[in-house]
Amino acid sequence: MKIHGGLAALGVAVAIGIAGGASPAVAKTLVYCSEGSPEGFNPALYTAGTTFDASGRPLYNRLTEFERGSTKVVPGLAESWNVSEDGQTYTFKLRKGVKWHTSKTFTAKRDFNADDVIFTFERAWKPEHPFNKVSGGKYPYFVDMGMAKLLKSIKKTDDYTVVFELNAPEAPFIANMAMDFASIQSAEYADAMLKAGTPDKLDLEPIGTGPFYLVSYQKDAVIRYKANPSYWAGKAKIDDLVFSITPDASVRWAKVKAGECHVMPYPNPADLEAMKKDASINLMSQEGLNIGYWAFNTEKKPFDDKKVRQAMNYAVNKKAIIDAVYLGAGVPAKNPIPPTIWSYNDDVKDYPYDPAKAKALLAEAGLANGFETDLWAMPVQRPYNPNAKRMAEMIQADLDKVGVKAKIVTYEWAEYLKRVRTGEQQTVLLGWTGDNGDPDNFLNVLLGCDASKMSTSRWCFKPYDDLMQEARKTADVAKRTDLYKKAQVIFKEEVPWFTVAHSIQYKPVRKEVIDFRLHPFGGHLFYGVDIKE
Amino acid sequence: MAADTALAVRHSPAPPHPLVEFWRYFRQNKGALLGLAVIVAMTLTAVFADALAPHPPAEQFRDALLRPPIWQDGGTTRFMLGTDDIGRCMLSRLIHGARVSMVVGVSVIALGLFLGVVLGLLAGFFPGPVDIGIMRLMDTLLALPALLLAIVVVAILGPGLFNAMMAVSVVVLPGFARLTRAAVLTELSKDYVTAARMTGARLPRLMFITVLPNCLAPLIVQATLGFSTAILDTAALGFLGLGAQPPTPEWGTMLSDALQFIQRAWWVVTFPGAAILVTVLAFNLMGDGLRDALDPKLKR
Repeated sequence: MKIHGGLAALGVAVAIGIAGGASPAVAKTLVYCSEGSPEGFNPALYTAGTTFDASGRPLYNRLTEFERGSTKVVPGLAESWNVSEDGQTYTFKLRKGVKWHTSKTFTAKRDFNADDVIFTFERAWKPEHPFNKVSGGKYPYFVDMGMAKLLKSIKKTDDYTVVFELNAPEAPFIANMAMDFASIQSAEYADAMLKAGTPDKLDLEPIGTGPFYLVSYQKDAVIRYKANPSYWAGKAKIDDLVFSITPDASVRWAKVKAGECHVMPYPNPADLEAMKKDASINLMSQEGLNIGYWAFNTEKKPFDDKKVRQAMNYAVNKKAIIDAVYLGAGVPAKNPIPPTIWSYNDDVKDYPYDPAKAKALLAEAGLANGFETDLWAMPVQRPYNPNAKRMAEMIQADLDKVGVKAKIVTYEWAEYLKRVRTGEQQTVLLGWTGDNGDPDNFLNVLLGCDASKMSTSRWCFKPYDDLMQEARKTADVAKRTDLYKKAQVIFKEEVPWFTVAHSIQYKPVRKEVIDFRLHPFGGHLFYGVDIKE
Repeated sequence: MAADTALAVRHSPAPPHPLVEFWRYFRQNKGALLGLAVIVAMTLTAVFADALAPHPPAEQFRDALLRPPIWQDGGTTRFMLGTDDIGRCMLSRLIHGARVSMVVGVSVIALGLFLGVVLGLLAGFFPGPVDIGIMRLMDTLLALPALLLAIVVVAILGPGLFNAMMAVSVVVLPGFARLTRAAVLTELSKDYVTAARMTGARLPRLMFITVLPNCLAPLIVQATLGFSTAILDTAALGFLGLGAQPPTPEWGTMLSDALQFIQRAWWVVTFPGAAILVTVLAFNLMGDGLRDALDPKLKR
């Protein structure tokens, strides 16, 4: 790699700035110790939260945005929007005077307008689009959310008005537009790169409208951003943003302690005690928008019997699991959605830990002598489950007390997910982190009949699914809340899952950082964050 | 040991029994004695694990998570070496782990030794295509890094303690085969073998009764040293999640499961690691002593 003298000197200067850490001299620099390298710089192509942190959030904007630190949807590149009576036509009024980033190879001649919106969505949507196949040509979120089938047409009526027509009503559509996959790219930049014969630069050297622009990226080492001076909502309070890529949780913690980083994600649960005690650290916590669960394959015996599933719910000591596996960093889950999502039904009663009752139910189901089952445990740490293997061992011990012999099975992570989708398992530990804060994102995506061919429980229950379909077609939040609350009652009666916990996300943040807010979807946003001199 | 005793007779009028002689040499090596003592202790622990362990190894005491060992603040006599993150008694798990490790060592070596000896004898007795076929196969196995080979075998068979043992047997097999073949080739040219042939001994007798006993010395040494390899490799497979499956108290698995507590609760990581270290070291020391005692070249 060729490095210019000037650039190298700048690198040294920044390095000194980092070493000084706690007291940056001139420019305000915030260092974030991220957990891994992003997959790339176009969020539409990928699914990892790590990628969204590094691409979608600092570099781009979307038509709508989630308000920082909440699930509320606020205007982004669209200043306002209208939904037609039938819920199938969405008209977005776009913001004027939004400037694109400037790079060495590209200077925008025009501001953001409707063409960019159309370009972004048609790229993922239409196979014949010149950019569809660029950079791998896979749009996982766009496809998995059924956008291709949902969209009927996208038209501009003038430069600052875009009309989306849908094939069916889709209540969460506005929230979906705020998800990272819907980040708006520049059509003008795309054309310029296509003419230059390097279309893939669109995704490698990103040009966005976001609060920061990309300065440099070294894989597995560092990403540097600078604040976008002409950002439409005002320049960010910090001048430089640095992602110091540090995969090991204990090393991240050591760096934060030493002042080399200001913020770190995903601390090791075992280190939390020390973090609480450290005076220079503000240990922020928030209930995550997630659920860790143990799903029963309702297509396989004996879990096709509701009584057996209920017996499992009585047999396992949830509190013990939360104490030992989550080390207190989790709250017991009784519903398939976390309490931070609207329509959470707090009236639902959880099954208490009662082995005697479990035995009685098993006897009723004709399994008084117990049975044998498998119990799949994932091999990796996930936000919703810090140690699945330990959890499996605890469940195994509890089941043993009611006469059920569980065999713990595990595979390499990708293989695990693949096999779970084919329904090989009898019971499986898994979880989910929400994307858009809509109950549909949990209740229907994970438990509806559409999902049952691939889902962990392979559960398709007509009365439940009817509620889902009805709620999808309604835009009235009060009515939807009512439907989702009913659905949670059915879920608890039929129990296709044993809901384990909603994990609490912890973020150690240094005291000099001002107004860092935890994002319920687990992302990390640095626009609006400031640093004390 | 026909040849050796014949020699001994010529030099000294009252030859000691071979075992006595062996013990005399072995005793001189203090390290080997120490190794032997540890191994005897370990074997007794393994045999009487049920009586020695204060608690069943898989029982979870959920009121006592991550208790420190007895000599630290918060330690209790109930759990001498503390408990792990789901409240299982470390001492009991280590004791039962000794049993797992011993069973693994014995089975792996038994299987590897048996197959290796048979293959080595065949290769030694049948020069030509059989010899070439067997030895090239062994060379191929030797060319692959041991752990990688074991991982491949486990990947094919699926994870589990039994499959891990099979995998490690495959890894130790070539050593035994080569060693047997080399010893057989040396022995075959000796007079007593010719004599046995002349008296009409048939092939199986020649192989197993005439030649094999004279090849045993290096095999015993290799088996002892292989014991430590077997324990170490099984622990490594366990560490990678491919060996013993929960709740089997296997040292390598215990080690990997406890890794995230390395800064907070040292005992859950240190004790299984120390157990592996001590056992492997003991077998290596004893193997060294055996080699010295059994190698005729080192004898006076």
